[in-house]
Parts: sequence; C-alpha cells; structure tokens
Amino acid sequence: MNRLVQIWRTSTVRLTATFVLIFAVFSVLLLAFITFQSSIQIQRQQAADIEREVRQIQNIDRVRGITEVVRAVERLSRLPGPGIYYLGDPTGMMIVGNVDDFPPLILQVPGGYSFNYARQRPFDGGGDAPQGTALVRSLVLDSGLLLVVGRDVVERRGFTAIIFQGFLWGVVGIIVAAIFAGVFTSIRVLKRIDAINSTSSQIMSGNLSERVPVTRRNDEFDALATSLNAMLDRIEGLMQGLKEVTDNVAHDLKTPLTRMRNKAEAALRSGGEPETQREALETTIAESDKLIRTFNALLMIARAEAGAPSGAFADVDVSAIVADVAELYGPLAEDEGMVIEAAVTPGIVLRGNRELIGQALVNLVENALKYGMPPEGRPGRIIVGLRPENGRVLLTVSDNGPGIPEDDRERVIERFVRLERSRTDAGSGLGLSLVAAVARLHRGSFRIEDNGPGVRAVMDLPQTETRPAQA
Amino acid sequence: MKILLIEDDREAAQYLIQALDEAGHVTHHASDGETGYAMASGMDYDVLVVDRMLPRRDGLSIVETLRAEDDQTPVLILSALGEVDDRVTGLRAGGDDYLVKPYAFTELLARIEVLARRSSPAEAATRYEVGDLSLDRLSRKVERAGEVILLQPREFRLLEYLMKNAGKVVTRTMLLENVWDYHFDPQTNVIDVHMSRLRGKIDKGHAQPLLHTIRGAGYMIRE
Repeated sequence: MNRLVQIWRTSTVRLTATFVLIFAVFSVLLLAFITFQSSIQIQRQQAADIEREVRQIQNIDRVRGITEVVRAVERLSRLPGPGIYYLGDPTGMMIVGNVDDFPPLILQVPGGYSFNYARQRPFDGGGDAPQGTALVRSLVLDSGLLLVVGRDVVERRGFTAIIFQGFLWGVVGIIVAAIFAGVFTSIRVLKRIDAINSTSSQIMSGNLSERVPVTRRNDEFDALATSLNAMLDRIEGLMQGLKEVTDNVAHDLKTPLTRMRNKAEAALRSGGEPETQREALETTIAESDKLIRTFNALLMIARAEAGAPSGAFADVDVSAIVADVAELYGPLAEDEGMVIEAAVTPGIVLRGNRELIGQALVNLVENALKYGMPPEGRPGRIIVGLRPENGRVLLTVSDNGPGIPEDDRERVIERFVRLERSRTDAGSGLGLSLVAAVARLHRGSFRIEDNGPGVRAVMDLPQTETRPAQA
Repeated sequence: MKILLIEDDREAAQYLIQALDEAGHVTHHASDGETGYAMASGMDYDVLVVDRMLPRRDGLSIVETLRAEDDQTPVLILSALGEVDDRVTGLRAGGDDYLVKPYAFTELLARIEVLARRSSPAEAATRYEVGDLSLDRLSRKVERAGEVILLQPREFRLLEYLMKNAGKVVTRTMLLENVWDYHFDPQTNVIDVHMSRLRGKIDKGHAQPLLHTIRGAGYMIRE
C-alpha cells in the first residue's frame, strides 16, 4: 500500500495520468466525430441504394411489363437484410413485398418517409426487436402499380455501434497499457532514486567515501549521479582541507599560547621582581595581539571563501585603492631602502568589497617589503600595477628580490605555509591565502609569476558591470 | 566624563569600569539592553559604550531608538562581529564608532575621549592652534612660529586630525581609519613612518616638541 502511494507520488505516474486523461478526452471527441460522420455516410448510401433500386424497378416496369416487375420485387423482398419492399395495385392492395402496414399517407402521396413499423422477420445486424424504423420512398409506376422501397435504419445504427465499440475498446486498451507503462517506469525511476537516497543517508551517517552508483546507460540519472559524485568529491576534499587547516590552526595558535603561558609561569616563579613581571606581561599582551591577528585573518579568509553576500558589494574605485596603498607604504619602503612605484590605469571601477581588496593589496605590498629585497645591495624596487586586459583587470605587485622557487609558488598560497627563510619573521602565513580568497570572492584568480628576478603576484579579476551611482 | 557602559559580560564590565575610573571617568553600568536603554534615555551621559549583543534588547536597536528620539549622545559600539558589513550596519544604526572585541584598553579609551569631544562645538572650527603651531582648514596653510610649513595633502589631513583632537591620544588604527579611510590590519609600522616624517616637518628645529608618541597607545599633539 505504502509502495503504491509512493508510486502515485512519482512524477512519472502523474505525468502518465495526465497524458492518459488528455488522450481519453481527445479519443472521445474523435469517436463522436467519426460516429457522426459514418452515420451520415451510411444514410447517404442507403438513400442512394433506394434510389438505384427504384430506377431499376421503373425500368423493368417500362420495358418488360408488370409480370417482370412483380417477379423482381418478389425476389428482392425475399433477400435477407434490411431491405423493405412493397408492390401494390392502384387501390392499395399488396401484390408482393415484405412489409404492408404502412401509414396510409405513404401510399396516397408519393415521396420519402421515415416511420416505425412492426418487423415481420429478424435479420442480421441487431434487427431482432419487433419494432423497427424504416426509411422509404414511395411512387407510382408507369403501369399504375404502387411501389415502396426502403431500408430498416437499424442496420445503419448497427454499423455505428460497431465502429463505436471498436474504438471504445481501443481507447480502454491504450489507457490500461499507459497506466501499466507509467507504473513500470515509475518503479524503475524509484529504484534509481532509492539508490541515490540510500547513498546519501550512508554519507550523512558519516561514511564520506560512499558514492552514488553510475550505470552504463548514460542517461540523465547517470548524469545526475556523476555530478552528485563530483560534488561529493569536492566536499570530501574540503573536509580534508578543513582537517589540515584545523591541524595547522592547532599548531600555529598553540605555539604562541604555550609561549605566553611559559612566560607567565616564569614570571610568577621569578619571585616578584617588578621589572621581570612587567616585561612578562608586555610579552603576553604582544603574543595575544598576534593571536588575535591570526584569528582575524582566519575569519576574514573564511568569510571571503564562504562568498560574502554580493549585497555587500559596491562599486569600488580600485585605481584609487592602489594609489592610496602605494602612497601609504611609500615612506616605509624608503626607510627600508626600497622604492614603491605605482603604474595605475586611472578610473578602473569594479563591483566588490573595498576593504577586502585593500587588505589583499596591503598583504601583497607588505610581503614584497618583507621578502622582496634584492640580496647584494641593489636598490629594491616594488611596482604596484593595475591595468585592464581583455575584459579582465590585472592587479600586480612585483619586486626584484630573490623570488620564489617555481615548485613553491603554488604552495605559498596555501594556509599557514611559510617558506623556511620566513619562519623566523613575524607573520601568520595567511597573507597570500587571504589574497587568493579575495580573488576567488571576486570570481578571479591569484597566481605568482617569475619577475626575472623577483616575484610578480597577480590578482586576475574579471571586469564587472558597475551600477550607476545611486543618488 | 560620565560614561554609560551597556555590557552583559560582568567580568569585562568590572575591568572596564575600574580602568575607566583610573583614567578619571565616572562609569555607570547596565547589564542588559532594557535597563541600558532606560538609563541612557533617563540621564545625561557624555558617551555611551554599547555592546552589540545584549540580553533583552539588542545594542543596535538601543542606538536606533535613541537616535529616533533625537538623542545625539556619542555612541561607541563594541562587538565581536568584526566584518566590514557588521561595521557598516553598526555605523548606519547611528553608532559613531565601532570597536571589535578583543581590543586594547588604550584603544577604547582613546576612542571614547575623541568621541566625547565631538559633542563640543570645536568641531566646526576653521582654524586649529596648538602652542605656536596653527592650521587653517580653509586656506590649508600650516604655520609654526610664523614660519610656513609645506605639507603633502595626506600629511595635512594627518595633522588636521591630530590637531582637531589636540590633547587626546589617537591610536594608529584611528589614524588609518580617519586619515586614509581604510580598516586594514597592517602588520608593519607603516603609520609610524608617516608620523616620523610629519614630526620632522613640525618639530625639527624647535625647542619644544608638539607631537608626542604615547607608548603602547599612539600619538598626541599638545603643548
């Protein structure tokens, strides 16, 4: 019973039912039309038959005389079938025929009539009722005899009924077949869906490596299963990544926490010299600030990767941000013995998040300042660039420092990855991850190229339609 | 200064009340939104410090209601929500400043003191003076002891902000927010470099320095 309810709920069965209904309605209309048409056709046919027989008999009467007419009518009236014949003398006495209880008017006024009469004999085609309906034509022959030729219309109705019945059975058969087909298809569909359902409930219960079975039929269910599996792969990958990140977070947050704790403990043990205690407290605050900073960076990346609602997007003058950041860091670079140059195409506006784009750029510039100093005392030169290219916007920060080995270029973008030489510096290892996340949030990408010598960090963002400023 | 602190975390509130007391401010405390709103509308405070997430009544709704009642007391919103959007909604609700938890007390104190000043009429002044240093906001002219000092546009804005808040500590993030209009988290001492350049132009060759570095907090301009 449950299963039946389930089958009824499937879209296939509902679809089938709808089509069967539409088909049935049209079949009935078609049936009515055909019945009506064939009835008219048979009526015409009968009228033509009557007319032909009348002419034959008139001909016999004219050419071969009364005796032959009587014989012909007698022969006709003995034939089985719906034919009605009457031949009488001018006074109305019947000579031969198979019906004689006509209404008197028929014999008195020649013409076409239709009337009910008492059947004297049954005949094929359903004419076994005692009462029949006749369609007749009466006339006076040249010899003065009265002739009536007609047909029992039951024959006509019989035909119609046969056509109607045949059609009806056909329609019923098709409906039954359609219902069976619908149920059968639904069961098959349900089976496939059940497979997907059971896989997903297995996955929900924790078995992430489970996959939806894909058949060789290559139908839409396989397409669905394939895309579901691709999604599951992605989820599994993300879970894996999350686990790695959690491990890294544990490491990168625990280390400073441990340092903090040790410092505090040492200060307690040292026996209350105000100078050491003060120093310990200052270190504690500095370490906790660093922790908060790492935490904020992680949250910012998480937000950017989750894809902030684009409602938070506004038209951002990226050219202005790049110019601002170059200006902001110019003096600092000078103090470090480097130069920052801005090569900015003015007036580039994107839909985006101003703070995130700014923070990403700051991260890139700070990285260039920290790691982009050329080794043998050559002047360091950082170029912050922004230019449109083939419907995209390239935001670049290049330096002429030692560069990053090709094998490491992908890796440095990952969370918490810091190359050996930067281990000792202050920094969370999250800077480039944030840049990559911001690029992805704006449907772009981030890559690191060789600047020969040095590093060129490229944020490759799609040019977006900007909305006119709202008043 | 009379401050109303609306904060449901009792420990954090106790710490803040004590620290503000040490800084010479009188602080009243409300630990839920309804009480906080009643106190804020019933008494006259110089600054309200409102936590965003409060029991019984949300912090933003308190600020919105006060503003709708035309109460212009400066409001500093405290929140654990630190995203740009959160900051924007906080300021849009009528907050004057927004500080993300956890924060350094010096940062909070500096912001409170700058906020309280806003309600005084000095806001509209066209000319600021500190000692023998003067800044004219209309002609954009800066002079010290009668000598004209030439500043870059950004240096001018930096000095303008410092002089507007003369005698108050301004932190590095406040400078970044108000002079550059960014909420970055710089990992380097980028602001300090700008300050040392400004100091070079303002104080160099003068016996009395005006631009002071406040250790662990930020900067201050005063006689």
